[in-house]
Amino acid sequence: MKRHLSAVLVAAIAIGLLLAGATACGGSDSSSPSPAASLDTTTPVTLTIWHPWTVKSEKEGFATAIAGFEEKYPWITLKIVTFPNSDEFDQTLIKNINAGTAPDVAISFGPDYVGKYAADGLWEDLTPMMNADNFDMSVFAPGALTYTSYQGKQVALPVLTDAYGLYYNKTMFAKAGLTEPPKTMSELMDDAKKLTVRNADGDIDVAGFVPLNAFNELGPSDLAKAWGAKWFDADNQPQIATDPGWAAALTWQKELVDWYGAEAITKFNAAWVDKEWTPDQVFETGHVAMIWDGEWRTKMIENDKADIDYATAPFPAADDHPELYGAGRVGGTICGIPRGTEHPQEAWLLVQYMSTDTDFLVALANMLGNVPTTKESAASPDLVMPDQMQTFIDVWNNQYSEFQPPLQAIGATYADFLNGYDDKWVVGKGGDLQTGLEKVDEDIANELAMGQAP
Amino acid sequence: MSEAKASPASSLARRAPAERRRQRRRSAVRRYAQVLLFLSPWIIGFVAFTLGPMILSLWWSFCHYDMVNAPQWIGLANFKFMFGVGQIQGLPPGAHDPYYWLSVRNTLWIIAFGVPLRIVFGMVTAMLLTRPKRGVNTYRTLFYAPSMVPRVATALVFVYLLNPVSGPINRIIDAIPGLDSPLWFFDPAWAKPALLIMGLWGIGDAIVIYLAGLLNVPRDLYEAIAIEGANWWQRFRYVTLPMITPVIFFTLIMGIIDGFQYFDQAYVAGNTASGQNAVLGQPQGSLLFYGLWLYEKAFRSFQMGYASAMAWIMFIATMICTVVLLATSRRWVHYGGRLQ
Repeated sequence: MKRHLSAVLVAAIAIGLLLAGATACGGSDSSSPSPAASLDTTTPVTLTIWHPWTVKSEKEGFATAIAGFEEKYPWITLKIVTFPNSDEFDQTLIKNINAGTAPDVAISFGPDYVGKYAADGLWEDLTPMMNADNFDMSVFAPGALTYTSYQGKQVALPVLTDAYGLYYNKTMFAKAGLTEPPKTMSELMDDAKKLTVRNADGDIDVAGFVPLNAFNELGPSDLAKAWGAKWFDADNQPQIATDPGWAAALTWQKELVDWYGAEAITKFNAAWVDKEWTPDQVFETGHVAMIWDGEWRTKMIENDKADIDYATAPFPAADDHPELYGAGRVGGTICGIPRGTEHPQEAWLLVQYMSTDTDFLVALANMLGNVPTTKESAASPDLVMPDQMQTFIDVWNNQYSEFQPPLQAIGATYADFLNGYDDKWVVGKGGDLQTGLEKVDEDIANELAMGQAP
Repeated sequence: MSEAKASPASSLARRAPAERRRQRRRSAVRRYAQVLLFLSPWIIGFVAFTLGPMILSLWWSFCHYDMVNAPQWIGLANFKFMFGVGQIQGLPPGAHDPYYWLSVRNTLWIIAFGVPLRIVFGMVTAMLLTRPKRGVNTYRTLFYAPSMVPRVATALVFVYLLNPVSGPINRIIDAIPGLDSPLWFFDPAWAKPALLIMGLWGIGDAIVIYLAGLLNVPRDLYEAIAIEGANWWQRFRYVTLPMITPVIFFTLIMGIIDGFQYFDQAYVAGNTASGQNAVLGQPQGSLLFYGLWLYEKAFRSFQMGYASAMAWIMFIATMICTVVLLATSRRWVHYGGRLQ
């Protein structure tokens, strides 16, 4: 019995993979979409599409918006499948690609695995079809390339995007005598201190700005972006320890945490961290004066009828990098053609439609509150968005905006090594910063090496 | 001539034993075939879902396998990286998994503290439950009920209960002068104890087993030792404890196996409390258990070869613990009225 119980552990790991493993080598010889073949518009075709919008209104909104595709291409019928758990989307999709049961077109919330899709040929390279149709990537902002293309393979296209910036409470700013949002990291530090309100017992009632990793959407790489820090050098070697921007960002971060007091800011975090997706979110309830967040918050504030007077601005840049003001992290929903589709040309039509059709993008953007990705859709008069949204459209179009962490063939989990170190560093358990960052580099380099075939 | 031409009767007599042997063989084969037929559902399931995957994972543990491309043989590289020994092609000397030993330490911690606590708490609660004269079934149901709640739901509830600011438990502690309330899942020093508390709340299954063991102790043994003038401690030490050692042994082994496989509670509590999907055992790696790290490597990093190697090491460790316990059990586990 004991032997059996122990075996269950190993078996459990492997059971789910048996089918995947059995077909692991299969499918790689699937035909790439050929732009040369002429399109047969007489034979009915059904395309299966997976999308991750599970909320009823979003699901229906997507179905309504995509209906225009079937009107435009009447011989194509869409079979729309809602994928229930976006956190497991990529893992499940990969298993289905291996098993030959993947959809013709997939929409994923995040580009974390685009590098893997490209490196392992899991998603079709769209380049031949784009060239054949003279598809121009400049309809998107330059940041689109940083999360849809890997090593010259354009395996995905954006379907709306997220863009990140600074939300600030105008009432609190006025009360503190501040007239405009911070533009430099020094100003952000000063303003955060001025705007913080503590209770009599020293606990934080209103935080000026919370610099902790994973507080809302913030990560250490977002802070480092203000210094223009890069993850990898030209040889794809991690340079967290050698690019001075990282040390500057983490030093800035710890200085602010120290000012709050590690325990005080941890308690504040504990009080609010799990309310990010509720109407009780910390900014919407007026318990933080400034926060790093995505563009969707504008829609959420509207939907939640939050009683705050707020504005948005790009995230501040380091004092010695004023050129970076206006840039930020971008990247969001993508679509592509998983390997193995029997209808690559029709699938390409759908990908093209979802990434560039103005009516579709505007309808989706109005529903979801995401940034419309093409210049034409961003300028559409039909776009209904709050004024605060313009900041994020500008961030999206900024030449220095990019996706973080950069795409790698192994996915994005390597970023966990930095985040893990940062969690310790900010509360004073990270030891010497330089030594810690060198260890992060070493861990990431080893992870990249172990994650790739010898 | 007469020898060369045997009579039909004598020939039949010689063939008879051979024929009987053949018939016996056919009969035996038929019996085995029937047995196999009846066992076949289990055999097919065992080969397809246990033995086959185990052999596959053993092979993968010596391979680089990313669940997409065909596994590539890399010898002992996965094990070298795990333990930080030897040279791995393409990696600097001493390259090692930075979180492996952390996950081992955390797992051993939860076993070292969780298993004894579970045994003591389960046993003491069961002993108390033998006392009431009225409402016995109600008490037993009440104590068992929490173990029917799914672990994920339990973890979510405890993240709320133990929230340092809004959780009711800290509000009570804060109301007591001179006491500092812990940060629980936000403090690496308190995160694992918080899991222990959560585990004790759902200990109903162990209580039921101990209760059955306690109620099975023959009453005449207590009467005999009472005549000898034993006090409560002597009754417990020389009657109760020896008689329930099989139950203790069972819960010990099951607890250790569960400890090696510790996953759900830590995954849900760590991620929910930290608001993150990453599974590096928030806060600060304190909840990174072996199972979580294995999951991370297998299903988020797609390093299935390495994860298989980890799974086999865990399997071997579990087997060693089980064998050692089995070997020592002869000295302290009391079966069927004999003290061995």
